[in-house]
Amino acid sequence: MSTSVSAPSVEGTQRATRIDAQGWRVVAGQECRDLWVSGRGPFLIFGFSVLLSGVTYLAATNLDINFLEQREAVNLTLQMAVAVGVLVTLVVSADGLSGERERGTLESLLLTPVSRRAIVTGKLVAALSVWFVAFVVTVPYLWVLGRGVSIVVQAVLLGLLVGTLVALGLAALGLLISAVSTSNKVSLAVSLFLLLALFAPTQLPSGLPQGWFFDVLARLNPVTAALHYISAVLVSGHAWTRDLSYLVSPILTVVLAGGALIVLAPRIVRLHAGVSGE
Amino acid sequence: MRPLFVLIGMLLALTAPAGLAASSAAAAPVATEAVEVTFDRNRVRTALGGRFTLETKIVNPGGAQTDPILAHLNVASLTSEVYVDPEDWSADRSKEVARLRPGQSTSLSWDIQAVNAGSFDVYVVLLPNGPSTAGEGPLVVSPPVHLEVAGRRTLSPGGVMPVVIVVPVLLGLVAAAARFRLRGTG
Repeated sequence: MSTSVSAPSVEGTQRATRIDAQGWRVVAGQECRDLWVSGRGPFLIFGFSVLLSGVTYLAATNLDINFLEQREAVNLTLQMAVAVGVLVTLVVSADGLSGERERGTLESLLLTPVSRRAIVTGKLVAALSVWFVAFVVTVPYLWVLGRGVSIVVQAVLLGLLVGTLVALGLAALGLLISAVSTSNKVSLAVSLFLLLALFAPTQLPSGLPQGWFFDVLARLNPVTAALHYISAVLVSGHAWTRDLSYLVSPILTVVLAGGALIVLAPRIVRLHAGVSGE
Repeated sequence: MRPLFVLIGMLLALTAPAGLAASSAAAAPVATEAVEVTFDRNRVRTALGGRFTLETKIVNPGGAQTDPILAHLNVASLTSEVYVDPEDWSADRSKEVARLRPGQSTSLSWDIQAVNAGSFDVYVVLLPNGPSTAGEGPLVVSPPVHLEVAGRRTLSPGGVMPVVIVVPVLLGLVAAAARFRLRGTG
């Protein structure tokens, strides 16, 4: 009796797990198609490449900027690529759930036999695809600026490692914000404000002596910490292991934001009261 | 024999105050004159914009503890055509050194970026910074590190043009093609 009851239950659980394991891939695939084939992905990347072209051209022709050593020119371009690539990734992820809710498509997505955790995982992967494409577009610019000083491979690996960490953490944050926001406008506004707040310290004059409090803030902020790590390795020539402590906050952001997203997904991925489109 | 004792007594009476003064001078903190400062190298060759770090070692070989010291880095151009603003070369040019006990040494790092092309000398001067010795001389100066900075244009505008133009054009074509295809199927 007990066997006849438990057997279908175990089978059902295994089947649900199987669907869940495939579900995020199905969601990611559909999201990527929406983004890259019929969505705004190609235009976002086109704008990204125009910006990088401008920065690269200035670094090579402007007398003031050309004063920079070649390593600094590569560093400038890589930091710009990480900053804007992460911005675009955050914009896409911030639209992930609140946008579906506003367009009235979240309801049908929730009716599919896919768990909510698989939905957020699929959306996270799709948002990260923007970062990876932006990174691939960055490689020729790094090559043209860095050839001759043997730092292209180092810059590419650094950008891939550090940029992916920051993009993953902020994409997870963007999806969290999107899940709890009452409207898409709120989600985008909060996400952009967060990004600006995180990037603001990078615009402070770096040559001035800074106290311990500034150093603590720079280490806590995942964006400034990640960009500092890139500069330390690329420009100052530090070993990869010397400034690893600066990667603690980007890793913590990934763990905390990603963990919260996966754990809370069943509760926060839901329809809100009201009419779609309002 | 008695005159000999008298003579020795007089000599002792005359030299004792000098000896006491010498011992009291050895116990009190001294200014920087007894300190030595040296760089880890004496020559650097780099290109315009290049960054490098110089290390200085400050040693107190004397028998008395020093007062606090201020170590100050300076850059001087060896040609009259090049104007040097040392603040541009290093953001942190003054470092405080705590009291050094007899025989003690300490090291300082100076991060420098070459912002002019030409020939330069970099040196560190030690200034007394204690309550009683500030403003007292003499100063201690390190041997100079000679810098040869090559002026070179690191990037070629012509070299970047193909990438700067071709990448956005290609991506723009891809984006436009995707849009037209979407309109065609829609």
